[in-house]
Amino acid sequence: MGARPERAATASPEQAAGQRAPTQPAPAATGAALPRRRRWLPWAIGGLVLAACFGLQSQLYAGQERTVATVFMFVALAQAWNLIGGYTGYACFGQVVFFGLGGYTTAALMAHAHVSFWLALPASGLFAAVWAALIGLPLLPLKGHYFAVATLGVAEGTREVITNLPSVTGGGAGISIPTVGPDATTGYLGNDGFYVLFLLLAALSVVVVGVVSASKLGFALRAINQDEDAAASLGVNTTRTKVTVFALSGFLTGLVGATYGFQQVTIFPARLFDVNFTVLMVIMVIIGGSGTVVGPVIGAAFLQFVSEYLRQHFTEAHPFILGAIVIVAVILLPQGAVSYAGSAWRNRDFSLLDNIRRYRL
Amino acid sequence: MSGTMLAVDGLSRRFGGLHAVADVSFTVPVGQTLGIIGPNGAGKSTLINLVTGHLRPSAGRVSVAGRDLTGARPWTVAKAGVARTFQIVKPFRGMTVRENVAIGLLYGRHGMGRLASALAAADEVLDRVGLAGRATATPGELTVTDARRLEFAKALALRPRLLLLDEVMAGLRHTEIDPSLELIHGLKAEGMTIIAVEHVMKAILSISDRVLVLHQGRVLTDGAPRDVLSDPRVIEAYLGHRYARRER
Repeated sequence: MGARPERAATASPEQAAGQRAPTQPAPAATGAALPRRRRWLPWAIGGLVLAACFGLQSQLYAGQERTVATVFMFVALAQAWNLIGGYTGYACFGQVVFFGLGGYTTAALMAHAHVSFWLALPASGLFAAVWAALIGLPLLPLKGHYFAVATLGVAEGTREVITNLPSVTGGGAGISIPTVGPDATTGYLGNDGFYVLFLLLAALSVVVVGVVSASKLGFALRAINQDEDAAASLGVNTTRTKVTVFALSGFLTGLVGATYGFQQVTIFPARLFDVNFTVLMVIMVIIGGSGTVVGPVIGAAFLQFVSEYLRQHFTEAHPFILGAIVIVAVILLPQGAVSYAGSAWRNRDFSLLDNIRRYRL
Repeated sequence: MSGTMLAVDGLSRRFGGLHAVADVSFTVPVGQTLGIIGPNGAGKSTLINLVTGHLRPSAGRVSVAGRDLTGARPWTVAKAGVARTFQIVKPFRGMTVRENVAIGLLYGRHGMGRLASALAAADEVLDRVGLAGRATATPGELTVTDARRLEFAKALALRPRLLLLDEVMAGLRHTEIDPSLELIHGLKAEGMTIIAVEHVMKAILSISDRVLVLHQGRVLTDGAPRDVLSDPRVIEAYLGHRYARRER
């Protein structure tokens, strides 16, 4: 129990904060209001982490290297979902559609059109972005669970279309990217290559979200998240803003899907459009802290490492234990680890029970 | 101080079989403050929403400073210089008070490109409405009065030519109304054109140059505040025909 359970128990967060407010100015709610002098600090820390990850590579066994590369992949995916689901507040439950389309665009371009992977990669991102904009126009006026269900439907439908276009996609039997011999347009990148590529994609997505978060666009996204009517009445073109950020989110997801497709060599619709990818992105963002730059990184790393550890040590009970951990994490940290750490540090109150009271009652 | 700021012509809006606003026409000259009153359900808020683009009219036209804005989207109307407050305050809860105000400065009529300058300009607007000390608070920490002030500040951040106030006094105590009235009088003195939907008669009489009465979606009467409030038709609309007859 913390030092101030009575107040936390009886007062709503607004009231509790209001009592404190006159003496202690409330902290900035967002990174954009960080004191000017310290604005470089997060970037410096991010740069150090990036450099350390490059150095880490030589210290790992092949299996460990693949695990860490998967963590990077999920950092990039979670961060992409964070743009639309976290900042903008539109919980997209069909995000895997951009992942799958990215993978299939790359596979089709490399197998049929003999295009280099380095051209297929940006092309896949752009194709996913265009698809996001096209489905965003009719779907983004929907709110809450209607949007969630509609995007889920689009993802399932797109998988069926891919499955039923065997001449281009190989259908349910899958499609293989030529990686050796005369048909190979780009040689297989190997463990080291995919480690670096996923690391760069993770870094790119973190930088994109960091820049957006502290920009004019980030302000519009948060305003739309909080109250769309009010945002529109203050001059924010909500339709254009939502479609733009959805396309950006789709672009990043498409890049990751393209890389994943190349890594797998042979891809199947059931795997590339697996709804579990979407679910993992959502859980990672929520556990880490949605609408923050660092949250999805922490959420993705935590969940992926825990999942891998459980897979190795509890082969049978692994999904059961992982599910229990997710449930406990969401109950204890309803607003995510990053927001908890921030408010706990400001109030000098690290009690998880107080945290639950603050955000659930 | 000449010309027409807002012209509404034959404006109608149906919800199914209900005529929420039916064939409403009026004009507001530049610099005038028009009070709009009417019983609950008279169509006041619907009328505001039709002007600001939050609802599309079933028929009729809306133009602001000569520019046709019929059926325009809310952000187009905002960029044309029309600001509004909402009857139920709509703060952006996850952002500080300063950031709340910066939105209008970034995206409004003179949309500022740089965040830093918008945040600095937000402080001037906050100073103006008496919220200077609360710039780093979050909206949840504000008192009811300060939350209304924030709603005002967000609208003023658009640097509007026409300001639509939807019941900004509702729920305030008598002593809390005076600072708001003072603020509105200050804006009037600067030549701002204002339309105020209001139930608080003290406020209507204080700020309005002219009062328009809506009843069942139609304009009942329109004229000088004192004349309108003593009009038997208005008393009847508010209190029923028996009460009106007894008064006579």
